[in-house]
Amino acid sequence: MKKILLLLLFINQITHAQQVIDFDSEDFYYLNRSQYLKISMDADKFNIVNSVSEKGTYNTGNKLFFANEFIHFDSFTEIKDIEAFTEIPSSNSKIKVDHFETKDEFGNGIFFSDQQSINFVFPAVSKDAITTLKYKENIKDPHFLGSFRFGTYVPTKESIYTVEVPNNVELGYKTFNLENVDITFEKKENKNTTVYTWKAHNIGEFRKQENSLSVLKYIPHVIVHIKNYEIENVKKPVLKDVKDLYSWYTTLIDQIKDSDNSEIFSIATELTKNLNTESEKAKAIFNWVQSNITYVAFEDGLGGFVPRDASSVCSKKYGDCKDMANLLYEMLNHVGIEAYHTWIGTRDRPYSYYEVPTPIVDNHMITAAIINGETVFLDATDSYVPYGMPSAFTQSKEALIGITPDDFKIIKVPIQPKEKNISLVKTTIKLEDNVIKASGKRTLTGYEMVDFVREATYKKDEKSDEEYLNTKFQIGNNKTTYTNIEFGELSTLNDIYTITYDLEINNYAKSIGSKVYLNLNLEKPLSTDVLLVENQPFGKKINHKFIKKYETTFIIPDGYKISSIPENISNELEEYGFSFKFIQEGSSLIVAKEIYVNTLAIENEQYDGYNQFIKSLIKAYKKSIILEKI
Amino acid sequence: MNKIFSIALLLIASTSFSQFHTTYDWEEKPLLHELTEVEKNESSIAILKKNIVEFGKSKITNNVSVFETTHTIIRVNDEKGINTHNQVYIPMRRVKKLKGIKARTIAKDGKITNLDENNIKQIENVEEYGNFQIFAIEGAENGSEIEVLYTVEKEYSPFGTENLQFDYPVKRSEMVFISNGLISHLKTYNTDQNFERTYLDNFLVEELVLNDIPATSEEDYAAKDAYKIYVAYQCFGNADLTQEILWNNTVENIGGNFFPTAIPKIVIDEIRSNILKKDEKISEFEIASRLDNYIKSNFTVVENNNPQLEEIDYILKNRSSSDYGIIKAYAHFLKALNIEYEIVVTANRYQHKFDPEFYNPNALREFLIYLPRLNQYISPDRIDYRVSEAPTTILGNNGLFINYELGYYFKKIDQSDTDYSKIIRIMDITFSDDFDKVLIDEDQEYTGHWGFQNRAFMALTTGQQKADFEDYLTGSGIEDKNVTKFELGNTEMNQTEYNLPYTVKSTIESSALLQEAGESYLFQVGQVIGTQSELYQERERVYPIEMQYPNEYNYTITVDIPKGYSLEGLESLVINKKLEVDSEILCKWDSNYEIKNDKLIISIVEFYRTNDYPIELYEGFREVINAASDFNKAAVLFNAK
Repeated sequence: MKKILLLLLFINQITHAQQVIDFDSEDFYYLNRSQYLKISMDADKFNIVNSVSEKGTYNTGNKLFFANEFIHFDSFTEIKDIEAFTEIPSSNSKIKVDHFETKDEFGNGIFFSDQQSINFVFPAVSKDAITTLKYKENIKDPHFLGSFRFGTYVPTKESIYTVEVPNNVELGYKTFNLENVDITFEKKENKNTTVYTWKAHNIGEFRKQENSLSVLKYIPHVIVHIKNYEIENVKKPVLKDVKDLYSWYTTLIDQIKDSDNSEIFSIATELTKNLNTESEKAKAIFNWVQSNITYVAFEDGLGGFVPRDASSVCSKKYGDCKDMANLLYEMLNHVGIEAYHTWIGTRDRPYSYYEVPTPIVDNHMITAAIINGETVFLDATDSYVPYGMPSAFTQSKEALIGITPDDFKIIKVPIQPKEKNISLVKTTIKLEDNVIKASGKRTLTGYEMVDFVREATYKKDEKSDEEYLNTKFQIGNNKTTYTNIEFGELSTLNDIYTITYDLEINNYAKSIGSKVYLNLNLEKPLSTDVLLVENQPFGKKINHKFIKKYETTFIIPDGYKISSIPENISNELEEYGFSFKFIQEGSSLIVAKEIYVNTLAIENEQYDGYNQFIKSLIKAYKKSIILEKI
Repeated sequence: MNKIFSIALLLIASTSFSQFHTTYDWEEKPLLHELTEVEKNESSIAILKKNIVEFGKSKITNNVSVFETTHTIIRVNDEKGINTHNQVYIPMRRVKKLKGIKARTIAKDGKITNLDENNIKQIENVEEYGNFQIFAIEGAENGSEIEVLYTVEKEYSPFGTENLQFDYPVKRSEMVFISNGLISHLKTYNTDQNFERTYLDNFLVEELVLNDIPATSEEDYAAKDAYKIYVAYQCFGNADLTQEILWNNTVENIGGNFFPTAIPKIVIDEIRSNILKKDEKISEFEIASRLDNYIKSNFTVVENNNPQLEEIDYILKNRSSSDYGIIKAYAHFLKALNIEYEIVVTANRYQHKFDPEFYNPNALREFLIYLPRLNQYISPDRIDYRVSEAPTTILGNNGLFINYELGYYFKKIDQSDTDYSKIIRIMDITFSDDFDKVLIDEDQEYTGHWGFQNRAFMALTTGQQKADFEDYLTGSGIEDKNVTKFELGNTEMNQTEYNLPYTVKSTIESSALLQEAGESYLFQVGQVIGTQSELYQERERVYPIEMQYPNEYNYTITVDIPKGYSLEGLESLVINKKLEVDSEILCKWDSNYEIKNDKLIISIVEFYRTNDYPIELYEGFREVINAASDFNKAAVLFNAK
């Protein structure tokens, strides 16, 4: 008798605290979502099939639009054996979906992609209906096993992820955010295969939120990858570690078409011919690519991973991130600057190459240049970022820098200090007939400059300049009138941007009896920033560290004196802070204010501390001066 | 919903008439165009927008062909300009043949980059728009000109429109319409200019040339898309169809579909079990409301190409339908319930102003069901609305009304109840002992469109969107607002009572509403009404005023005056502005106060009697809107006695 080899390695209850979810109060939720990923091998060819099954139910008829269902796929996957139907318990009936449509995906800032979706609608959904969807995904490339998310946009009662691999294949996996989830894990070794199973219950809803940290930092999920496989006692690597990932990437870089680069080389030479230092040269080339190549995104199969040749990018004048990165790479190296192809994930991919050595970590490509021994990260897809600064959305992220076909480095992109990103606002205020008359000058650097210049370039023409600045700066109140607006050159090439304007604000100073009450905080940044976990469950994302400095000079009107000046106040913490100082000099009152944020994230458990800071700031903003007739 | 016209005109097309568009081409050696300084400051400007629409009848087969040629030359002056124009999408809906695409860029230095045709890609079945040919413009840089020229042969349809105004300026717009002797009609909109008959290359053409068309403007309370310059045309093979014949045809089509004679048994069964029990006596309004609730909770309106979504049996079985098919479902139930109804064909007023005098089926995409005995509407594909006035996107537009005898008439879709949408707010305001916090107890009632919108918004949104809406319901713009009580009433979307108010009871605390000034406290009482919009006057108003719907606000704000304090600065609370025409007050703001028993009582009435105002009244309208914004800045001073 054959002995059935079934070894139960371990069953582990991973969790402690469990979330309480009131499924009855949901309009729609999933009873079950499961995937069974089966990897098998036919000689040295992988056969990877992911069987997906989802069962949802409606508690009300409010959100019947959930009946619209989409199966997304691209050229690396093939969808087969779709089965979809609705069951109606009251009539004990089952109605099958009889119409499926395949559509090309379009939009989301991507010009052309191989993304498609199969669209259909579950019939006859209403209160108590249960919908079931099953299909198989053929995964054509073993580098793209993907991930499984235990939660989704509505709560899930039960979700199960199973991965079955033949025993000659070594599976790697990494789980995320399982701490507070009711979940079990089981690894079973059978005669020929090993089966990994995660089973989770009562998972809450997870939806991407604006101004929040990546939902991937919160959603319970697991990423799997094939480390290697053994054929005839020889181990063949797939994605065991980042070295394997990199060596796969180099095969993609090798596929860049050969082309005649003489034109781009002559442009690079011409741009740098009168420049002496490496950094001047790199800046000239970077600025040229920023301002001459327009970002147009393509995601087309493996073509989505292989840069187009530099000369065609240069002549077409458009490209996506990898096209621009490769063009920079060619131009910089041509003028003798060490530059490398560099893979990176944006901040919404919170993964490390060391933890998951798979293409899921990155979604972007830049160029790293070595200037005077320092690594400079160049991302020309951001047409406004000054030379020397990384694009804001890559700060803190691991950059995979390809040095030679066998050698790479991983370096974290440095977070730019707040001192690089300053808004300095100098304002002189006069009071005439109870109307505030002020002239302002704002000088912006770093990402403060980048954000303003980019937005103004795209948005300012939609409205009048006055209306634009009113909504943008919110100085005084929404009745502020602007004159003599000088936008200056909307450019970041000078590393500093200045805008000046004059203002009149009616209805702001309060003249009551013989006194005038005036709040000199014409702008109150962060004053609406109190955070609530109910509204913002995934932390607060801050795009960059910054300092806002205000130097306000109030000219005391003739015949008046200041009878009350607020006291100096400050609350300066490591991650954020402010200080307000008031100095009377002759007939002027000078207010020096500084507000800074020195972090890129406020996590949920930091909300209380942050809110206390915001409240102390609001308290500081509340203080007015009083003018009295002499 | 392009299904409302179906006269069998002429069938399959083939071409053997001489064609104007085949001789049309771009300049062989293009040069950059001279622009003024102002034009160079635009992100982009169209130097030429040319459309040639050519109909022609085959001498052999008698069939009609349609060719449309598009030729554009656009100067791009900055990154925004490049990004607006460097990706070209050619819609392939109804296109039989694409007769060559040419595109090139003329750089500042005169260098020409031609499009490599291999880079043209196809995308298929995109959302509800069909197929496209797409390409990115090669060689576009600041200061260059992008030129695109292509011709498509389309399946014959007697109707078409051409939009001539965009969100960037156009220096010269040319439209050439060639009917090759076929009977045709043309109409221009939102311009005083008309087509002129002339000869071009020995072809008799109708030509419209417009110079210096400004970009559309972003304005509040405006329907900019509906006021774009455009052309509508009709071209029939041989029949001279009057507008009346065309409307009649539509009425016949719709009548056949939407006034059923037989009622399937399943409809009766559903009514008996879900809408109206046998012998149950309730008002017609309630029956209609129950029906609307039933359909919206059990049927899904679907956008896809499944033709069965318009077949009543399929719809009733699968409870899925197209936006056209769902009207059939309503019609069957209404008929079975013996509720008189009319079908209304109309358009979204923000996109298109319905023109009864020129038949343009492409623009008529909205359907309502009018219940004449109730003077109410059903909006079949709006999940937020139930039996009510017409939804805000349609209110004020004209509509084609069709009754069961297939009689028809045109009528402006007005609001029957001018008091329909009201907000009543009663606030009681007190202060914490140390004068650090303001406490606001508020009871609110929202009726009419507000009621529907609030119910739908709160039921259907989640996350930040929902949080923002809750913020609006408790007074937006209060910086450190802390909501300690928030109770909603009548929140269920399925209601059967006429204009049942949506209620909000809330308590909030705020410290920011009080400013400290020495020993006194400045209370920003105006902010309790929430942020109010402000209309600016820097640019001259372009469009007439369109509000969402007529509305009224009533506030009673009672402020407790703490012992030991006196009040100053009350005059800022008194604001009176009104817009009066022929002794009728069209809109007004009126705020006032009285002091009674140590309480400051502020009362406010703000109303807008209609949803549209001609541009001549803009200044008066602006004053009323801005009065609310003025009040929002009002503050009173508490002085220690």
